[in-house]
Amino acid sequence: MSGVLFGHLWRSQRTKLLIVCVAMAAWNVFLPVIYQSFGSQMKALIDSGVIPKQFTNFGGGDVFSLAGSIALGYVHPIAIILISVFAIGFTTSAVAGERQRGTLEVLLARPLSRTTVYVTLLVAALLFIALVLISASAGTVIGSTVAGVLGELAVDRLPLLWLNGMLLWGTFAAIGLAASVSFDRLTPALGITLAIVVVTYFLDILGSLWPDAKGLQPYSLFHYLASRDVLTGTVDLFGLGLLAVVGAAAVGVALVVLPRRDFAAPS
Amino acid sequence: MDALGTTALTKHYGRREPPVHLPIGHSGGVVRALDDLTIAVREGEIFGFLGPNGAGKSTTIRLLLGYLHPTSGSAEVLGLDIVRDSVAIRARIGYLPGGIALYDSLTGEDLLDYLGALTGRPSTRRAELTDRLEMSGRTLQRTVRDYSRGMRQKIGIIQALQHDPELAILDEPTEGLDPLMQRAFYDLLDDLKAAGRTIFFSSHVLSEVERVCDRVAIVRRGRLVALEDVASLLERRKRNVEIRAADGDMPALEGVPGVSSIGRTADGRLTCQLEGDVGPFLQAIAGHRITDLTIEPAHLEEAFLELYEDAEPDDGSPQPSPTPAAPAGVP
Repeated sequence: MSGVLFGHLWRSQRTKLLIVCVAMAAWNVFLPVIYQSFGSQMKALIDSGVIPKQFTNFGGGDVFSLAGSIALGYVHPIAIILISVFAIGFTTSAVAGERQRGTLEVLLARPLSRTTVYVTLLVAALLFIALVLISASAGTVIGSTVAGVLGELAVDRLPLLWLNGMLLWGTFAAIGLAASVSFDRLTPALGITLAIVVVTYFLDILGSLWPDAKGLQPYSLFHYLASRDVLTGTVDLFGLGLLAVVGAAAVGVALVVLPRRDFAAPS
Repeated sequence: MDALGTTALTKHYGRREPPVHLPIGHSGGVVRALDDLTIAVREGEIFGFLGPNGAGKSTTIRLLLGYLHPTSGSAEVLGLDIVRDSVAIRARIGYLPGGIALYDSLTGEDLLDYLGALTGRPSTRRAELTDRLEMSGRTLQRTVRDYSRGMRQKIGIIQALQHDPELAILDEPTEGLDPLMQRAFYDLLDDLKAAGRTIFFSSHVLSEVERVCDRVAIVRRGRLVALEDVASLLERRKRNVEIRAADGDMPALEGVPGVSSIGRTADGRLTCQLEGDVGPFLQAIAGHRITDLTIEPAHLEEAFLELYEDAEPDDGSPQPSPTPAAPAGVP
């Protein structure tokens, strides 16, 4: 771990990090308010049969309970795009992007091992994701307070929800970094990582909306982000363990590939 | 002691071994970027590393810095192995990449601070370098994205030398510098050399290699073509000679050692080429009524081109002789 490199990463990302954290907090303020304002009406609408009941299962979230609305906030495309700024954007450009721009040349000319560079990038990515998820939790508490439903929120379960989110997005960050150290161009690294995220997201959403496709859900990493279950008291240790194993495997791949690969002159 | 040395350093790209009957460049899927390079750079010298695009210059530098892993052979930099001790090597050298790319969002000063901190050694030469390369404090406060090509190159030079490295590896260092700055840079190299620093200098600009380097290695198609003193290389170059004599009193130069390509122009001048010791030539013209004598000085460029002409053609046919001018690989 290089403190100097970490400091450089922090300074280069802090404005973006602040914007994403504020946006994430705002988004999570919004959901308890929606639940409090429209939850009962939405439930009545669903119960009337106008909207198919399957739609209430979108990504394991809903707006009929506080836990459901918070869970919906975590799997909604807005939240995914916000977290992806660091879990995908930062990680895939960390090596492949610098390589493409040519700036990796001056970095690798310094007395840093490639493993040190990788570990520093991974720690930075995990820290940025951690701060974004803390902002989400803070937004949830603020939103619940504003909506007057804080009493319904299991505040003591929020750290576990944060951990669940960290394991999912930390795994995607590790996959993004593994792709980044494997390619000379940003496009393939970003493309592969995005494809993994989009496909696994699609499998989970499809499985949640269509009973016949439910069998696909265990193949999606998003399936193991069990926000509603965590907030209502159920912890899927297998799911948490699986995310940790996949993340560790991606870290292992990067630690094998990066020190062994050649960096030819930029074209 | 050598500051840098390679022994049969080889780098091939690709997975399949080449069929033995194929010449270089037709290697059955394997790109032979560098083949059996053996050179030694002495401490305190400025060593020129020459070759056309694709000759293997950048491959060699990248092997020395640990960007690439050698296929075979070995190399040491400052007594350290390039594979085992790559991090330790990079702590003691300075590197200017060719066509350097910098972090555009940083100011020049922040960039130098950042790269200096990553190196982990105090930037003892920065003030001197910024002064000599005319990078004012105001200029260093501007972001790199506002810099011209020449200013970026100056920042590149400063970041490579600011921590006073024992060995500087400079790839096309004067690219983008105006003539005045080039001269300032040459003076800087002279001072570094006087201070006992070693410079490994890759360039396409032969006149500057001739100006600053003590010895040169010339590579082509991944192989060493020549390695010798610049002075020796120039000494052996053919000089163009033109003689005017009164009343047609031309000396007979046939058979004079070092003289070749003797001819006469339409207006009666005698022309020839002269190589090596000029003594026999001067003796041959002594006593004749010479009214004008021109001997064009040999330039490294001519030497360089001559070596290339003698070496393997670019069509990939087999190379007849790897060392037409000097025993390559022997410092």
